[in-house]
Amino acid sequence: MPLDSSTYALAHLRVDGRRWKELRRIHGQMSTQAAADGSSYFEMGNTKIICTVLGPRQPTKSGGRDQSREAIIEVEIGVAGFSGMDRKKRSRNDKRTQEMQYTISSAFASTVFTSQYPHSTITIVLHVLSQDGALLAACINAATLALIDAGVPMQDYIAACTTGSTASYASNDEDADPLLDLNGMEELELPFLTMGTSGGEDKVNVLVMETRIQMPRLEAMVSVGLDGCKQVRNILDGIVREHGKKLLSSR
Amino acid sequence: MAITILAPAPAEAPRRTYHETDLDTYGEDEDEMEIDDLPSGHRRSTQVITPGQIVTDDPQWMRGHGTFAASDDASSAIRSTLAGTLQKTNKLLSVVPLRARYTPEIGDLVIGRIVEVQSRRWKVDVAAPLLANLLLSSINLPGGALRRRTSVDELNIRSFFGEGELLVAEVQSLFQDGSASLHTRSLKYGKLRNGHFMAVSGMGGGAGVVRSKRQIFTLQTARGGEVDVILGVNGYIWIAKHVEEKREEVGLNRLEETASQSMYSSQNDEISSETRREIARLAGCIRVLAEGSVKVEEDNLRRAYEASLELDEIEGEVRYLGGERGRNIVDMVLGG
Amino acid sequence: MPREADPSNNEREFVLSALRENVRLDGRAFDQFRDVDLAFGEEYGAADVRIGKTRVMVKISAEVVTPYADRKFDGIFTISTELSPIASPAFEVGRQDQTEILLSRLLEKTIRRSGALDTESLCIIAGQKCFHIRADVHVLDYDGNIADASCLALVAALMHFRRPDVEVHGEDVTVFGLREREPIKLQMQHQPFCITTSYFDGGEVMLHDASLLEEQCREGEVIISINRFGEVCQISKYGGPPIDGLSILTCTNMALEKAKMLDKVVKAKLEEDEKKRDKGGLMAELRADNEREQG
Repeated sequence: MPLDSSTYALAHLRVDGRRWKELRRIHGQMSTQAAADGSSYFEMGNTKIICTVLGPRQPTKSGGRDQSREAIIEVEIGVAGFSGMDRKKRSRNDKRTQEMQYTISSAFASTVFTSQYPHSTITIVLHVLSQDGALLAACINAATLALIDAGVPMQDYIAACTTGSTASYASNDEDADPLLDLNGMEELELPFLTMGTSGGEDKVNVLVMETRIQMPRLEAMVSVGLDGCKQVRNILDGIVREHGKKLLSSR
Repeated sequence: MAITILAPAPAEAPRRTYHETDLDTYGEDEDEMEIDDLPSGHRRSTQVITPGQIVTDDPQWMRGHGTFAASDDASSAIRSTLAGTLQKTNKLLSVVPLRARYTPEIGDLVIGRIVEVQSRRWKVDVAAPLLANLLLSSINLPGGALRRRTSVDELNIRSFFGEGELLVAEVQSLFQDGSASLHTRSLKYGKLRNGHFMAVSGMGGGAGVVRSKRQIFTLQTARGGEVDVILGVNGYIWIAKHVEEKREEVGLNRLEETASQSMYSSQNDEISSETRREIARLAGCIRVLAEGSVKVEEDNLRRAYEASLELDEIEGEVRYLGGERGRNIVDMVLGG
Repeated sequence: MPREADPSNNEREFVLSALRENVRLDGRAFDQFRDVDLAFGEEYGAADVRIGKTRVMVKISAEVVTPYADRKFDGIFTISTELSPIASPAFEVGRQDQTEILLSRLLEKTIRRSGALDTESLCIIAGQKCFHIRADVHVLDYDGNIADASCLALVAALMHFRRPDVEVHGEDVTVFGLREREPIKLQMQHQPFCITTSYFDGGEVMLHDASLLEEQCREGEVIISINRFGEVCQISKYGGPPIDGLSILTCTNMALEKAKMLDKVVKAKLEEDEKKRDKGGLMAELRADNEREQG
């Protein structure tokens, strides 16, 4: 890609050589596991995730038949011990993991047509193989691909990405730039938020922020995030189409 | 078999970055497509539709499966909920998914596994979103079709089908919530034994079992005698040794009785090792077809079987049908 | 697990159609809080917050412990939340329920991760001794909006709490009792408040301080933690139907106003409490000629 010399300034390069509005390399595959109803493999930079979807199916566990009129979406996240910089075992009961599970399940509950599958359960299992920032965003994207692969009807893709701001909360400088798609190192240093949108129309499904930031800066971050999500959505759409073409051509 | 280590594939060339200007390249103009040209019926378009995409905003079409109308759109716009292809039935537009779990339809021949035994019914896993029901009243009982069902039958329900046992049945009706009710009231249906079970992914996906004229057929194998193949529409497959029914001068009543003796037996017959090998070869062929995304149906399976025999003669016998040999078989099936 | 029974369809429809006509069942404006009442206990660090019928009690306690090996210069601050059957029969003892996990994560993010409490000031001797400040959040009555109530109670309690004074001589540490020396306030860097905005009809109707019934009928919520300087400490919109990006920014603006309002309530109540306690300092209290109680 030719450098745009008018806006290009050396000081505005980030640690990994990207400019403020660039995504990392995104790579996705669908139908990676034969045994699951739907599966995907998703990379956002060095964050790598395998997702499998089981169901919709009726839970075979003993106990009363579940009388709900809608499918329940269960999410399980397994973070591999070797995924981070230091080997750490994150238990399944970790509150952060549970919060992420809840976020993903309630995000998809509103976009999947759960009412078409009464008394059944859709299980989304996410395995985090490697983490380098944007964990929640990558999980959401991987789950979107896997759900599409499983043929679960949904209103639209949920595409997610992170945005940050160059100024940490301590400093008050006015010319802080919003940044798109932070990597692990930037996430440690800078305030950031994760957002997931559906459709091309600025509809925010998920927005999670855990760091302190000045309110005026939020607006720039949200608008960059909306744009980033659109880009991610197009990439996801490209992956799905490519996969579909491959399947159709082999028929 | 030798284990080969594949060289790591080079990282994929960076995907074309998308700029705002071409945000909607996959937008509407491309898929306004040939709805009008698309023939009605089972032919589908070859264009991939993705979730959320507007299929059409022409008010003349009706919404079928796999589509919805978003609340904030113009009232006539039809959007897709699935990744798949468009199918037109007169004025009804539906999106057929590339791959999805099996959804039961009346008349489907399915293979199922008993999951739960209840007082007057069985719960059967047929790879559908919900477990299917098999009522005690919709199976053939030993002793004639017209026999009364007694409470003794209810108590002995496990003597017909127990947990974990496999059966072939037909979808009789569907409940409100989409779950199926099965029946086995035909001599073709009933408990399965003497063979091998395998599951390929359900409908769609290019692979898998499709509804066809004949789902149960017998194959004359080279060495192992006759082998029965049952292709369940739900993607479950049963390959078994063909057992000749003893039907000497049967009257109508006699037929019922002879059938009933072996009908609910869980004991396998004697199977020679040649037959076993042929069953394994057929299973290998099906696996190869499924992995090569070729439809699993009678013709393809027969061709794959012939191909595997042919290759054995040319290149020497290989028991494991996979890798290079598998690809060759798929090529031969598709080639001729 | 016994779940709170969902309101009947009629009731839900009634609430929703009233909201569409700009009416809340209890007659409040959409952005109006129920009456916020804050009371402090006899001891330092006990706060009791009531928002309408919702009631949350927080107690802060301190003890001297060894700091974590990887954080030698920091004290320890933990928040524990408990939703017991006292609050609502829907909560069970000893079982962590989704609401509880989310609540404790929320408080953690709002108070701990935003650095509201300066943990470095809790250090006594680096690597050997530090204060462990523990906050116990008890929900006593549950009628919606426990996030805002718990956060308000927690902040108020932290501001009210005084830890015992210490003196260090080389390796020796003396901890003075509350009678011996004037206890010391915790160092708070800022006071964040959680403001929950519930939305209906895809963001058409936005409510503050939803009651339990309104919470059961809502489509989703946006929880924003913000301090009076306009620093957003945390936003969480966990799934739910999508809303406009712009409405989230509107939510933050409204949350800032509410946070300023809550901040004033806390300040006023603290001042009131201080006046009540102030009897001229320790010396005045220790004087021999204390007023005798009139028998």
